[in-house]
Amino acid sequence: MAQVALQKVNKSFGNVHVIRDVDLHIDDGEFVVFVGPSGCGKSTLLRLIAGLENLSSGEITIAERSVTDLPPSKRGIAMVFQSYALYPHMTVFNNMAFSLDLQGFSKAEINDRVESAAKILQMEHLLDRRPAALSGGQRQRVAIGRAIVRNPDVFLFDEPLSNLDAALRHDTRVEISKLHNQLGATTIYVTHDQVEAMTLADKIVVLKDGEVMQVGSPMELFNYPDNEFVAGFLGSPKMNFFDGVLVDGAGSDKGQFEGEGLNVDGVRLVSSDKAKGDSVRLGVRPQHLVLDPNGQLKGTVTLVERLGTETVVELISESGTSFRCASPLSLDIETGQEARFSLTPAEAHLF
Amino acid sequence: MTRTFKHIVLALIVFIWVLPFIALVTTSLRSETASKTSGFWTAFTPTELGHRFSTHDKTEKEPFVTMSGNIFERLNKDRDSFKIEGDVSSILFKGRLPDPDKPGKTKLLRQLIYAGEVMDVRGGDFVFQPNGDFTWSFPEGTAPKPKNLVTFINQEPVFGADAYVEVLFENKNVTNALISSFIVTIPATIIPITIAAFAAYAFAWMRFPGRDWLFVLVVSLMVVPTQLAFLPVLQGFSGIASWASSLNAWMTDCEATKTCQVASKSFASLWVTHTAFGLPLAIYLLRNYIVGLPKELLESARIDGASHLQIFTKLIIPLSVPALASFGIFQFLWVWNDLIVALYIGSADSSDLVFPIRLQKQLGTFKDQLHLLNASAVISIIVPVIVFLAMQRYFIRGLLAGSVKGG
Repeated sequence: MAQVALQKVNKSFGNVHVIRDVDLHIDDGEFVVFVGPSGCGKSTLLRLIAGLENLSSGEITIAERSVTDLPPSKRGIAMVFQSYALYPHMTVFNNMAFSLDLQGFSKAEINDRVESAAKILQMEHLLDRRPAALSGGQRQRVAIGRAIVRNPDVFLFDEPLSNLDAALRHDTRVEISKLHNQLGATTIYVTHDQVEAMTLADKIVVLKDGEVMQVGSPMELFNYPDNEFVAGFLGSPKMNFFDGVLVDGAGSDKGQFEGEGLNVDGVRLVSSDKAKGDSVRLGVRPQHLVLDPNGQLKGTVTLVERLGTETVVELISESGTSFRCASPLSLDIETGQEARFSLTPAEAHLF
Repeated sequence: MTRTFKHIVLALIVFIWVLPFIALVTTSLRSETASKTSGFWTAFTPTELGHRFSTHDKTEKEPFVTMSGNIFERLNKDRDSFKIEGDVSSILFKGRLPDPDKPGKTKLLRQLIYAGEVMDVRGGDFVFQPNGDFTWSFPEGTAPKPKNLVTFINQEPVFGADAYVEVLFENKNVTNALISSFIVTIPATIIPITIAAFAAYAFAWMRFPGRDWLFVLVVSLMVVPTQLAFLPVLQGFSGIASWASSLNAWMTDCEATKTCQVASKSFASLWVTHTAFGLPLAIYLLRNYIVGLPKELLESARIDGASHLQIFTKLIIPLSVPALASFGIFQFLWVWNDLIVALYIGSADSSDLVFPIRLQKQLGTFKDQLHLLNASAVISIIVPVIVFLAMQRYFIRGLLAGSVKGG
């Protein structure tokens, strides 16, 4: 059983506090994605789990065993680096056999393991090549293969797809997902790409400035964000926010919002400590704004982006707040035009 | 700067560096006379030079009416190398002829006779052709004494390896110097590289207190002039030598044979000194290279379970070959060409002298034999050139391709 548990994990580099009191529990076989803007500490957190950095305080448990003071090789983990980190002077076979060799496995055992890993990744024909003779995608596979042969309790991926081009990134993402289903090993995956996070994860951990913002399944985070940051981070285009005041519903889970010409009732109220009359922000996704001649929300079009599958309209409201509307329809709308929108209270959030 | 200007400057630099080498090689391949009498730049074009030849050997006393021969055959009969070839342009006639102004009297004439012209030699008609064939005919059978004639020949360039043969095989000085230089240079290159590689890895990738200060100290040692350290180094070696001598006296029966004295200046003292003086630069260069290796590679190896020693031997060393090779060349050249350290610290036995000292000594003995001196110098140059050409492919930094993104 390869659960991973982090308790009150802290990490400072000198005076810079990078990871603050992170508590996290990852179940056996779970695919967890750490996501956040750059500099949020997601990679550092992964490196702490890998043992490449030492904790300032706290404890890390892998498979019910405290690994806080263990070196990386004894933690039962395997890591795939963003830059692949293949040994350039060794063939693919030797790259994959390196760790087994160091652990003192027999030649036959090493052969077996490398070959079965190569089979899983469909790269038996590459075993004699050197990394320099491989394409980006193939290198990525070798890096994953090198992780597989170690048969680890936990796989760690550090932005493994960011060096691949868009098409390959999609294919490899699908492959990683399949691989996870096949191997069933606990996987921790770091990315800044929310699409990867949404598609791959059983559980997403959103980080900001070294703190966990929210943990949950992708849909949970998307539909019920705990805070403005998570709401704004997930989803594309970004969620719209409008300033206003809480008119009613303080203390309950539904509130009434007034501001920006809008007056909506029955909106999901996230923060329970807001009192009536407090200033709040209404969050609504661009996809949930509907073009409606009688709508309360009024804006002037500043930009129309036609993406084929979607039309994204950028607008500016009377009070100067810019917001966006995304529609699957090809809207007949021009820059400079005025437009009105309505929204469904159930699809909005109050922060 | 424009491209052309850069090219001109570059060409000039190449010229300045290559010219002495060409001079050295050319002179060493010329004959002793040629190297003494004319500059090396005249060696490539035909030059008119004077030679003296005799018409025939003294032993030939058969009378003849017409004798035919070849000037070049006569000139080259005693030469094994630097054989003279070219066109005979003239022969200097020196003799008394009837004076047309004062009948009955003769007049001493010095005159250049050209090909095809008839010249009076011992009463016979001497005619030669540009290719060296000559005929000497008398009205009746005569047996004249050989005549020495001075001829001017438009000579083709001629080269030979005689100087090398002489320098290498006449006595053992140069061969001994060659061997001594190898004995000094090879360990004095390998030892510092080995030590420096370990130190460089530690400075680059191991965490220990005071690491950066220690590195600064090592780097700052580079500015210590070699000359400044000679006295203490020599004192140290003689201390060790006297200590070793007494140990020798105590442990062996050397007193009977009077061989207790251990030399304070030897090959080993040169190895130690060159290692010490080479280390700061070696550590500095290698550390800077090793610290630039992708961090992920080492982290990956750590996750794979490699210890520091395994990371060093299985990753760092193979990946640092270009840096090791380039420092190897530096150190090899420096030690090979070193005169001053060898002079102060090295053995003074004639058979143990390294090449630069041998060359310096030849400067005295071969003062007038430039071709021999230059031949020795060329031999001493050849070794570093071979080393450089053999190692230069490692300068190409293609080894890291494929390890990280972009490659």
